[in-house]
Amino acid sequence: VTRRIAIALMIAAGAFGQTRPAAAPSPVPSYKDLKYPPLKQVKIPEPAQFTLANGMRVFLLEDHELPLIQGLALIRTGNLFDPPDKRGLSEVMAEVLRTGGTKAKTGDQIDEQLENIAGSVESSMDESSASMSFSALKESSDQVLGTFKDLMTQPEFRQDKIDLLISQLHSSIERRNDDPQSIPDRELMSILYGRDNSYGWTIEHEHLNHIHREDLIQFYRRYYFPKNIMLAVYGDFSTAAMKDRLEKLFADWHVDQPAVPPFPPVTAKAASGIYLAEKPDVTQTFFAIGELGGTLRDKDYPALQVAADILGGGFTSRLVSEIRTKLGYAYQIYASWAANYDHPGTFRMGGSTKSASTTETLQAINVELEKVRTTEVTPLELNEAKESVLNSFVFFFDSPAKTLSRVMRYEYYGYPKDFLFTYQKAIEGVTREDVLRVAKEHFRPENLTFVAVGNPKGFGKPLASLGKVNPIDLTIPEAGAPSGKSDPATVARGHELLKRAQNALGGAEKLASVKDSTQVLEMAAQGGMKIKQSNRYLAPGYFRQDQELPFGKITAYTDGKMGWLSTPQGFMPMPAPVLKQAQGEVFRNLPHVMLADRDPSLEVTATGENAVEISSQDGERVTIEFDASTGLPASETYQQPGAAAKIEETFSDWRDVEGLKMPFKMTLLQNGKPAGELTVQGYKLNSGLKVEELSKRP
Amino acid sequence: MKFRVLLCLFPALLAAQSLQEFEKKVTEFTLPNGLHFLIIERHEAPVVSFHTYVNVGSVDDPGGRTGLAHMFEHMAFKGTPTIGTKNWPLEKKSMDAIEVVYDKIDAEKRKGFQADPKKIDAIEVELKAAIAKADSYVDENAYDRIVESNGGVGMNASTAEDSTNYFYSFPSNRIELWFLLESSRFLQPVFREFYKEREVVREERRMRVESSPQGRLVEALLATAFEAHPYRNMPGGWASDIDNFRRPEAEQFYKQYYTPGNITIGIAGDVNPAEARRMAEKYFGRLPRGPLPPYVRTIEPAQEGEKRVAVSSPSEPFLAVAYKRPDQYSKDDAVLDVLSDILSDGRTGLIYKEMVRDKKIALAAGSQATFPSGKYPSLFLFFVAPSTGHTIDENEKALYAIIERVKKEKVTAETIARVKTKLRASLIRKLDSNSGLASELCSYAVNYGDWKRLFTELEDYDHVTADDIVRVAKKYLIPTTRTIAYTYIPEGGAK
Repeated sequence: VTRRIAIALMIAAGAFGQTRPAAAPSPVPSYKDLKYPPLKQVKIPEPAQFTLANGMRVFLLEDHELPLIQGLALIRTGNLFDPPDKRGLSEVMAEVLRTGGTKAKTGDQIDEQLENIAGSVESSMDESSASMSFSALKESSDQVLGTFKDLMTQPEFRQDKIDLLISQLHSSIERRNDDPQSIPDRELMSILYGRDNSYGWTIEHEHLNHIHREDLIQFYRRYYFPKNIMLAVYGDFSTAAMKDRLEKLFADWHVDQPAVPPFPPVTAKAASGIYLAEKPDVTQTFFAIGELGGTLRDKDYPALQVAADILGGGFTSRLVSEIRTKLGYAYQIYASWAANYDHPGTFRMGGSTKSASTTETLQAINVELEKVRTTEVTPLELNEAKESVLNSFVFFFDSPAKTLSRVMRYEYYGYPKDFLFTYQKAIEGVTREDVLRVAKEHFRPENLTFVAVGNPKGFGKPLASLGKVNPIDLTIPEAGAPSGKSDPATVARGHELLKRAQNALGGAEKLASVKDSTQVLEMAAQGGMKIKQSNRYLAPGYFRQDQELPFGKITAYTDGKMGWLSTPQGFMPMPAPVLKQAQGEVFRNLPHVMLADRDPSLEVTATGENAVEISSQDGERVTIEFDASTGLPASETYQQPGAAAKIEETFSDWRDVEGLKMPFKMTLLQNGKPAGELTVQGYKLNSGLKVEELSKRP
Repeated sequence: MKFRVLLCLFPALLAAQSLQEFEKKVTEFTLPNGLHFLIIERHEAPVVSFHTYVNVGSVDDPGGRTGLAHMFEHMAFKGTPTIGTKNWPLEKKSMDAIEVVYDKIDAEKRKGFQADPKKIDAIEVELKAAIAKADSYVDENAYDRIVESNGGVGMNASTAEDSTNYFYSFPSNRIELWFLLESSRFLQPVFREFYKEREVVREERRMRVESSPQGRLVEALLATAFEAHPYRNMPGGWASDIDNFRRPEAEQFYKQYYTPGNITIGIAGDVNPAEARRMAEKYFGRLPRGPLPPYVRTIEPAQEGEKRVAVSSPSEPFLAVAYKRPDQYSKDDAVLDVLSDILSDGRTGLIYKEMVRDKKIALAAGSQATFPSGKYPSLFLFFVAPSTGHTIDENEKALYAIIERVKKEKVTAETIARVKTKLRASLIRKLDSNSGLASELCSYAVNYGDWKRLFTELEDYDHVTADDIVRVAKKYLIPTTRTIAYTYIPEGGAK
């Protein structure tokens, strides 16, 4: 049957269909003429709030509709506190907290016991919060609550479950490029926030290899204590009775820790541009476009919400109208002002289109973006966008669980209780001028990063017609293989070179006797700036640096795992890239690195006639070139984290310091270009430095 | 063991109580034209969720027009003669003009190898102009705009094998607006922007199926497992069918299947049933009663041997193993559900424990008792993502070993009691959302003729014994009705 005949048949059938008796016409109004009664007053429940004797904050809300009791605890930590060389630690900790069981019961036993009563307890880690939740039928809530408490207070982190999860995470890393939809957002975040910090990095095989049970226990101990936890419970109970139950349940948990520092600030400066990751097995290009945005607190947040909504917020937005409805280029297309509670979020657009219309779609997005930032939106658009928010406002209160979790989250992030109502009022007041102003200010085409994942062979117009295209390599790095070739001969040669250097410096025993050292120097940076610097090292990993710069003093301190910075702008936890630098300083400290052959966790291999590479399991790596005639180290070469720079440091002016030879002059090259000179005024060895001294805040 | 018996008894009571309590909240009525309504009162907050369940799905797609049910679903958001147009008489005229031009293209195309591509190109230019003209009368996305600006949330729709669903929520003072909008779009849908939307639908297929290793695997699995029955087609349809949809075909499909007797509507939330009924009569009473839609005649012939399909994909491997099973009206349906939960639900499922937790050969492994849908005989599906370094073959063997064990060894009383308790609890947890309730009650009412089946099916679960599990595993999980689909990395194709 040809198509034409088929259609003819169908039309005939349709005509037949119309012989049905016509329905009696009953007049209905136009939607424009409908009158709506005022919306019933929303009952906003007020959660009971109190603090347990051990310091845990509690929020309770009764809800008797169903025989269920459920809870959610927020713990002030997050994967923002992952050490740089152990990315993924917090996530592993949170998962194994549940699967690894308690002292008394294995995780497998808990699985069976909970599922026998259809209860659940789960634990997870987010960027700036950890959570633990439970859900129970009312009748078995005692048992579920008990398990919840045992897991929270006495997790055992059994090794078999750590191994299981680590192997699963390795598998997940291998699968991370299989679903093209998830790639653009991930790569965009890495570019916007930087790959060298926890806001933007991805977990690689190498990092998982550094995560050990002891790390999990330490992370847990540092953050899981009553004063650092907020617990919300809702469901079928009486508030007084539940308060009593919780007091008793947690009565024996009294551990304490110093207050958790603030989360590291966002320091990245995004590199705008066009990026392409090639993926040959797709028929669509998936893309994400964005730049750094703001927080929910920002004064302009409501206007930005409205602006992003009009641009790409729903089925009626401009992006959907133009690119989906009119052009038929995309099934999904959106724009959003994704603000965070506590650190800058992103302004983001994204979607997918067939390979052939990739460039055209991105161009069409640019056109719409330009329009919204140069011309006022229409009164109708503004009105509909505001009405949409205001009329759907009631859905913020459609379940007690939503209200309770919002109240706790505001408290957690230090937001005012009435934040939502302030927001509502602000939306009412947004004008067309506001929308134009904030769009102009915050949607900045020159700052945008475009990430596309697709098959460029299928692109119609080349992507390069929009600008220079930077490739993204999706290759998954293999677990940390040292760069030097490690065989018995190179290892032996490396040790030989090191032994010769130890002798030249004053002997291995003399080096080993150095427990602390202080170095005072002056640095002449490129451009003429002079910096006074004092560096103090204390074994095994303490380090403090005090610097005097023209604009003020900067002090950095680390205990090897975490640390702080004190600058003229204030005091803050040491951001991950800085911590990584400090750890590098400690690692390369001469008395330490020159004894690398004594530390079984370090690898020493010769990479040339007079060069060795020394690397640690934590990802530290340095190449040292020796002076062929004296045997002394002539230079160190290493990567500076956070700056994507290769640093070459040359030593000279060797003098005697208490029986050791130490360099009094260092010259720095950054990526081959002069970067500064360091002149040492003096060294002090074993002066009896104390941790208290080093860690004292200025 | 007394303790355990108590444990299983108490949720049974709970469910019976829940049903008694719950019945008080439900009002059911049918309009003279056959449209069925379920009203569920929940006055906790002044909001209401609406769910329109149409008893039509991709199984009803005409031959060579796979994806047409889904295409209509997209057209249901395009408005009416009064919503979405700047000038209806002119728009209608120009929409009809498009079809005249399109007929010329089809006339040329049907010449097959003798068709003149240049001629087709020339008419395509004409077609573009005709479409542009019709589009100039369109008030884009007007229907969505009315819903969104009145505070509607969660508006969307879905097309599955056996059903098409339309849903969203409003503040409860906008109930009448929903009645007006929903009845209008099914009374007089206008298929405007049809050929643009066809492109959007095509993009949806590229996203969900063509660019996803799992999507392509499932497509191959279904096309292999089913030889005749329409479950062999994904609801989105095949690419070339979508590319050639015509508007009259979609209109014809609508006329046949969107008759009031084929539609069930669930409304849950802060709603007065008497008022809802009055409005239902006023607005949906306008829909003319129609003839009964056609039914699916094709019955899948018995499978007479194992089938295998390999899908080339430069990604980490996936494995799907599917066995033929009867439809959801079979007496064994409840047993198969319990069996699937024993095998893969939670952290105590046998497959999870053995393949994921203990042997670590799979990153994820699970089962689904009914796939892709249940109105017709379908599949009992196993899905495995092997761990890095472990093969499809190794996982397939491990899976079969577990299946053979289930056929031989009875599961413990504790295991079976656990699954039953979880099934009951999951029912209770379903009752706390308006949108979930509206959708579930419609689905049970249409699929089983009575929404109460949502509660009473627990009785069927209660009757399942360890012997039943063995019997059913032996009966259905057999090699001759098995289909295996897996991905492999093509030669020379780097990952």
